[in-house]
Amino acid sequence: MAKITKSSTAEYFAKNLQQVGFSSPLKAVLTTLKEAVDNSLDACEEAGIAPELKVSIKKVGKGSAKSTDLIQITVEDNGPGLEPSDLPQVFGEYLASSKFGRGQCSRGQQGIGISAATTWAQLTNATGVKVISKTKKMRKAVRATIDVDIKGNKGLIKNKETFEWKKPHGLKVDFKIDGRIQLNGDGGLITYLEGTTLVNPHLTLEYDLLDKEKVRVDRVSTDVPKVPPPTLPHPHTMKLGEFLTHAHLYGNLSLEQFLKKAFSRVTEATVKDMLKNGLPKKLKTMKVQKIPEKDFKTIFQSIQNTDLANPSTRSVLTVGEEGLAKSIHRIGEVDFFSVVTRKPKICDFKPTVVEVAIARFLDKKAAAEEQSVQLLRFANRVPLQFDKSACAITRAVESVNWRSYGLMQSRKSLPLGPYIFAISVTSPFIKFKNASKETIDASDDLVEELRRALMQAGQKLSRHIKRENKAADLERKRAHIEKFGPILVEGLAKIVGAGKDRKKRAEQGLVKILGRDSKEAEKDLKAADEKLALLKDKQAAKLGKVKVDTAEGDEAEATEASMDVPAVKATTAKKAKKKTKAKVQKKVAKKKVAKKATKKAAKKATKKKTAKKVKKKTKKKTTKKKTKSKRR
Amino acid sequence: MPKIRVRKSDKDIPKIARALCDEMLISLEKGQRPLLQAIKCSLDNSIYKASKGFFTPGGKVVTTELNVSSVQKIARTVFILDIMLNNLRNGTVNSKRGFFYILKGACKNDPKLKPLEVQDQSETDAVINYVADLLEVYREELNCHAGDRGGQTFSKNLVVTETLEDGSKAVVDLSGMGTSAFQPQNKPQSFKLKPKKGKIDFCLVIESETMANTLVTNGFTKRNNCIVIGARGVPSNGVRGWCKTIQDQLDVPIYFYGDLDAYTLQNIYRTLKAGSAASLIRNADFSAPEVKFLGLLPDDIKRYDLHYYPVSEKNASDARALKKAKDALERDPFFADKKNKKLADILRWLIKEKKRCEQQSIFAVNPKDPIMSEKIIIDKIKRKNYI
Repeated sequence: MAKITKSSTAEYFAKNLQQVGFSSPLKAVLTTLKEAVDNSLDACEEAGIAPELKVSIKKVGKGSAKSTDLIQITVEDNGPGLEPSDLPQVFGEYLASSKFGRGQCSRGQQGIGISAATTWAQLTNATGVKVISKTKKMRKAVRATIDVDIKGNKGLIKNKETFEWKKPHGLKVDFKIDGRIQLNGDGGLITYLEGTTLVNPHLTLEYDLLDKEKVRVDRVSTDVPKVPPPTLPHPHTMKLGEFLTHAHLYGNLSLEQFLKKAFSRVTEATVKDMLKNGLPKKLKTMKVQKIPEKDFKTIFQSIQNTDLANPSTRSVLTVGEEGLAKSIHRIGEVDFFSVVTRKPKICDFKPTVVEVAIARFLDKKAAAEEQSVQLLRFANRVPLQFDKSACAITRAVESVNWRSYGLMQSRKSLPLGPYIFAISVTSPFIKFKNASKETIDASDDLVEELRRALMQAGQKLSRHIKRENKAADLERKRAHIEKFGPILVEGLAKIVGAGKDRKKRAEQGLVKILGRDSKEAEKDLKAADEKLALLKDKQAAKLGKVKVDTAEGDEAEATEASMDVPAVKATTAKKAKKKTKAKVQKKVAKKKVAKKATKKAAKKATKKKTAKKVKKKTKKKTTKKKTKSKRR
Repeated sequence: MPKIRVRKSDKDIPKIARALCDEMLISLEKGQRPLLQAIKCSLDNSIYKASKGFFTPGGKVVTTELNVSSVQKIARTVFILDIMLNNLRNGTVNSKRGFFYILKGACKNDPKLKPLEVQDQSETDAVINYVADLLEVYREELNCHAGDRGGQTFSKNLVVTETLEDGSKAVVDLSGMGTSAFQPQNKPQSFKLKPKKGKIDFCLVIESETMANTLVTNGFTKRNNCIVIGARGVPSNGVRGWCKTIQDQLDVPIYFYGDLDAYTLQNIYRTLKAGSAASLIRNADFSAPEVKFLGLLPDDIKRYDLHYYPVSEKNASDARALKKAKDALERDPFFADKKNKKLADILRWLIKEKKRCEQQSIFAVNPKDPIMSEKIIIDKIKRKNYI
């Protein structure tokens, strides 16, 4: 019989790095960057610090494997830093995490990613990760190299030294790995960095990729999102084994107390219902540690058979419409956009929030109309860049009929056009399809919720498109007069044998007729403009100080005086636009007032009516009673 | 003057066209929108009377008013009409394809005409049909013909005489053509037909050309004094005109043989027998109302033990076929006519039984007997097992 051996977790992952995102040299670079950035952002948010990240990726030589380069990836943050004693655990030990199973919407969850990156560096370049760390308490920073002890699943700290670092606190990681670089496209580094800035409005990011110019993207929000604390577990999301383990933590309490204290949505009434659903009465007051194990199954079954309120949605974090709207303008000059943040919902018994941003960028407008839209997927504010087709987000986008919102789309596929669809799913328990967290499992509940958000965003988008179509229609009509008029008159005159005078009169008559048509089109366009202005006003009201331009050209600008966004150039044209906008706003305000008045009047009328009805009813009742009593 | 004579007509086309254009010009001079009216060519404006035997137009008309949306269509119509009038004047004939290239070439050559440019032949085809509908004349009377083929025809006893441009005659004896097919082009009405000897027994129109070829290869036309035509799916104007000529000149019973499904019944057989809703003004000369439906009939499945397919509503194409049958019963005046009740019953049977049977299924009845299919067809004709 073959000898049975035991391997460490690190050994397992070292042999199966493809499972955690290191399946090719190309993915290795992106995954390493992603893990480092995720950790930095999580650490900053936990410490309440507005993150400021510096990323540098350079080719520094040839890789050890065939057709790879030696890539240096550096990520520096202004986070709280790590204690030197924690460095080996964080960077060199698998499943050593402060976030595992906490039920919070943090980016990292398991404590695998960054250790896997160190392992990849070690396997391909024979050195682990170089780390510089400084906490607030430390006078000097620590510089060290962390390796993974693969046999023992432990981090090894090497070349540790202290030095003066200008920063008050922070962390810098430096990986040298075998890899290949892709900048653009679905799996590109720039796509990842742009995506990260999009869903992190509070992030200032500076990146230096290869020999390209350095890019600095300033934050558009100073509010550091507070990751909501986890809520107590919901009994319906547990399995029997988990229930047992959970119970052992509350041994001294009675069963009733344990259920009420250790779970969310369990109340006095629930326990009563459980008794009806097969919970033996004697167990109710028994201490948890004294309950025999076989009875736990009965308890568990009775709670599963009892109706409970859905889990709380308080533990979910959102980027928010305002943040998304501001952030979207950091990626490029936006032609128009629509953002939707849904209220937290329970999908598959897990609190989930779906957010959608749809935007058209001016520089992408030149791209072929027949190309699929660019789909940016996010899970807990981390871009998902691979295995698009199997993802719940892609499924949801494909299932919506975008043609009804004015976009071109083949059946059951992504819509076409120069748009970016950014869709974010946030939940403390996202169901990923694999450990590398590349795709979200497409459950019916989640796909439906995503569809709703997409349809809402689509409705907003369709107003822009309709307005554009009206403008194009007017343009077409004007062009038609010039194009076809002379040909038609010429043809008719030729067949009939008409002279110059008749021809001239006919031409004049034709211009009159077609002029009337274009006037009607102008009216339509004006109406569409007003509708769009109304929508943009609503958006602006939602976004607080964000200004949305509504005039010709349909530029939408979201700027805030306090933000470091480039100032808007004041031009006479824009002043004129503002004037027209003000006019439109006045009109809108008037309409609103009129609407309110009519609503009030209607309410009064209905009140009167209902009062009359009630009076009539009570009269009827009393007369009936009287007649009844008389009969009696 | 019209070069392709399909019917006797005393319409002065150039005069009608000029009057129409003059009316348009007058309206324009007055700053009024010219209105163009044409017969509405659709099923809801089709009238079917068994006594006539083909679809005739109802009272509905389509009115096109000149506006920014229609100005392109009207400008193209006037341009094509001018070419047609020129052709009539000069005695020039053009095909539909020819008109496409004439317009395309003119637009490329003259930058002023660029707005009229067309990308696809379907665009000029639509304009040509519109001109014919406006003037209520046949497209052929405007010296425009299509590339329609009249269906592959086989017979050992048919002689076709064609009068050519110069008045000379071309005589084609189909008995000497072996298994090659005679395929009349776009003006079968100008043929004179006669049997070589005695009288022809029947004419068999088969839905698929390949099935007709197989029957002929197996000697069907050798053993039977008949005409076999392969219709090639939905009958073109050529096939319809050819069948009408055979019906009128030879006085032989004509049978149609095809699949047992709604598409064959409505799109193929009904079009051959009563014409189509899209060409309401020309059905009188482009339909053969005496064609009988030989099959396949629902009874044939049992009688000859034919292979059939179940039709499932879950399958998209099957669901379409069922919907087609339902639509035909609800909307098609041909199936609503009492005289065609038995045909409507077949549609009802198709909807109820959810079955379909291919015309080729008779080849599988007895694979050892190469002429089994012929035996079945002849048996059906002898037993008068047709509708």
